[in-house]
Amino acid sequence: MAHASALLWAVLTFSANPLQSAQSDSVPVDIISTTEFTQMTQGSKTAKKQDTPKPLVDKQGEKKPAPDPVQKVTEKKEIEATKSEPTPPTEQPENKPEPKPEPPKPQPKAEAKPEPKKPEPKTDPIAEALKKDDSKKKDEQKQAEAKPVPIPQKKPEPPKPQPKFDPSKISALLDKRDPQRHAATGETINRTASLGVPTGSAATLSQSDIDALRAQIQACWNPPPGALEARELIVDVRLQLNRDGSVSSEPQVMNRGNHPQFQVAAEAARRAIRRCAPYKMPIAKYDLWSDVEVRFDPREMYRG
Amino acid sequence: MLKTPLHLPYPTLTRRRLLTIGAGSALVAVTGLRPAEAVLKLDVTQGNVQPMPIALPDFAGGTGPDSDVARNVTGIITNNLRRSGLFAPIDPAAYIERISNPDVAPKFPDWRAINAQALVTGRVTRQGDGRLRAEFRLWDVFAGQQQAGQQYFTTPDNWRRIGHIISDAIYERLTGEKGYFDSRIVFVDESGPKDRRVKRLAIMDQDGANVRYLTRGEDLVLTPRFSPSTQEITYMSFGQGDPRVYLLNIETNQREIVGNFPGMTFSPRFSPDGQRVIMSLQQGSNSNLFTMDLRSRNTTRLTQSPAIDTAPSYSPDGTRICFESDRGGSQQIYVMPSTGGNAQRISFGEGSYSTPVWSPRGDAIAFTKQGGGKFAIGIMRTDGSGERILTEGFHNEGPTFAPNGRVIMFFRDGGGGPSLFSVDITGRNEQRIPTPSFASDPAWSPLLS
Repeated sequence: MAHASALLWAVLTFSANPLQSAQSDSVPVDIISTTEFTQMTQGSKTAKKQDTPKPLVDKQGEKKPAPDPVQKVTEKKEIEATKSEPTPPTEQPENKPEPKPEPPKPQPKAEAKPEPKKPEPKTDPIAEALKKDDSKKKDEQKQAEAKPVPIPQKKPEPPKPQPKFDPSKISALLDKRDPQRHAATGETINRTASLGVPTGSAATLSQSDIDALRAQIQACWNPPPGALEARELIVDVRLQLNRDGSVSSEPQVMNRGNHPQFQVAAEAARRAIRRCAPYKMPIAKYDLWSDVEVRFDPREMYRG
Repeated sequence: MLKTPLHLPYPTLTRRRLLTIGAGSALVAVTGLRPAEAVLKLDVTQGNVQPMPIALPDFAGGTGPDSDVARNVTGIITNNLRRSGLFAPIDPAAYIERISNPDVAPKFPDWRAINAQALVTGRVTRQGDGRLRAEFRLWDVFAGQQQAGQQYFTTPDNWRRIGHIISDAIYERLTGEKGYFDSRIVFVDESGPKDRRVKRLAIMDQDGANVRYLTRGEDLVLTPRFSPSTQEITYMSFGQGDPRVYLLNIETNQREIVGNFPGMTFSPRFSPDGQRVIMSLQQGSNSNLFTMDLRSRNTTRLTQSPAIDTAPSYSPDGTRICFESDRGGSQQIYVMPSTGGNAQRISFGEGSYSTPVWSPRGDAIAFTKQGGGKFAIGIMRTDGSGERILTEGFHNEGPTFAPNGRVIMFFRDGGGGPSLFSVDITGRNEQRIPTPSFASDPAWSPLLS
């Protein structure tokens, strides 16, 4: 215990310093909730694309077809004639060349390619870390270019030839590619052309998700038969859930009561949580229901 | 009857465990400095009001008659818990595990599989000196823990009470309220044709078993009430002439007259300390409340009104009484200090209120309410708020509280003859109490143990 308390004291004192320095900076800060943050970083269809989207693309590209890029590199200059190729990645390179011929061909190509170069190195590590969350990555997909570029095979080849780039022309190219992407992948998720960060997630628990969880718990809750002092028997329980909906640790009762029946009420609440596990919840939104605090309030049942 | 707690060997706190706990609490303190993580908050307000599923496999027993006793004790417990309306004993046919040794922790998954929330195991054996030893353990199936364990020693003819006492222990552990199974009911047994009805004082266990008659039926008996000691009953009897208030010892069957009063006396009831009896005394066209000290036989007059004051009942702490009075124009319930003084009316609903009874828990008053051609049994808080009708019908009357204040017994006469019913104070679980013949005017004893 002495060690523990010493450790605690040390942590407290250490934590005080950073707080003070932060105050001296006097940076204006807005406090937002997690859901607000995820929604803010989600982006929107109408958003204009800028530098930030590139990294996202890179990540996704890694996952997808490795062979395609090879074709791109080789074909790019030749391809103009070969538009009819079925595979999505190959089509993209084709598109690029199309606009190119009208204006000076060499310049646009060069411009477009440098984009992928920069993100590629960055994306590799990120992608590795994020491999687990496949679904989220798919949502973020925006640009076709990055996908073909994938890590292993031909990063070096495409970037080398084309160093420069015009942002306005690129945006034009990107606009054309988006619809193609959709057709190629066939994923409805791609409808959202959004700006955001890799951690951005549009996931929010819908009311029906919450109601479903509530219903599952209610079905197993046998409240104690306290008829007259129900307000004394409100129990707050916090629980952690695993991805499969099972309870990962002992449900913790967060409040205390003096009523003789409170202990029984708390046991009934914890029993309800254990009985109904595993809970059926959308896995994609796991982060939002991994930690739950449930208030068991019997007042309505006993009319106050 | 001897009673000792029963414990399973449980891991004690070792130094290692203490260190772990210490480190854990330090960790909690550290993480507590961070801003709280996002937590999904959820309000659950509608639970499942179904009775709690409980498994009660037959207690292990010795051989021959002892195993019968073990099974009968289990049956008593099962019936008690079922009749309370708060528990749903599971059909033994569904049991997966067979409990042979109640000292070994059961296979909880087997009991979870049949959705038992609680499990009771036990054993009844005969000691060398001829006494019965009964023991039980109550398990929380989902937590995988023992919640209670007791053992009792008693004489073999007490096996039924053993069942009631174990029922109370289980009830108290699982509901957080005292039980009421180890208690008795005194009532007026009515037999014979309607014009020559014989009324006898009778007593039985709260589940209707062990009926015993206390009077022979020569006199008309009314309003029996238990003393706090559970050994005595006060009641009113019309013998030759005026009705009189009697005290009856239910063990010795000796009776005595509390006092000779001019005029009619009604509704005698004990004070919570058992030292006094409170009743109403009729004089001419009005009646007033009196108390009588049972030792000195001194009487004290509590009310001085020209109205009819009757049916007094003490609060559990003995400081106040509730009674019915028509001083306001109709029968209503009033509360006043037990030493007399200013009475406050607490009932204001439509109709008339009568026979108020103070709950042993102190928080409610039960009453009979008449109006619109119906008789209802209800409860209200002691300030008159929160009135709740529990049951309604052609003729309901005479509420009396179970020792824990959760159940009310009353009698109902549907036309043929009166019989006893109980209802839980939520109004959810109404049941008929079996009696040998017609029965009225029940009074519930305190807990016997």
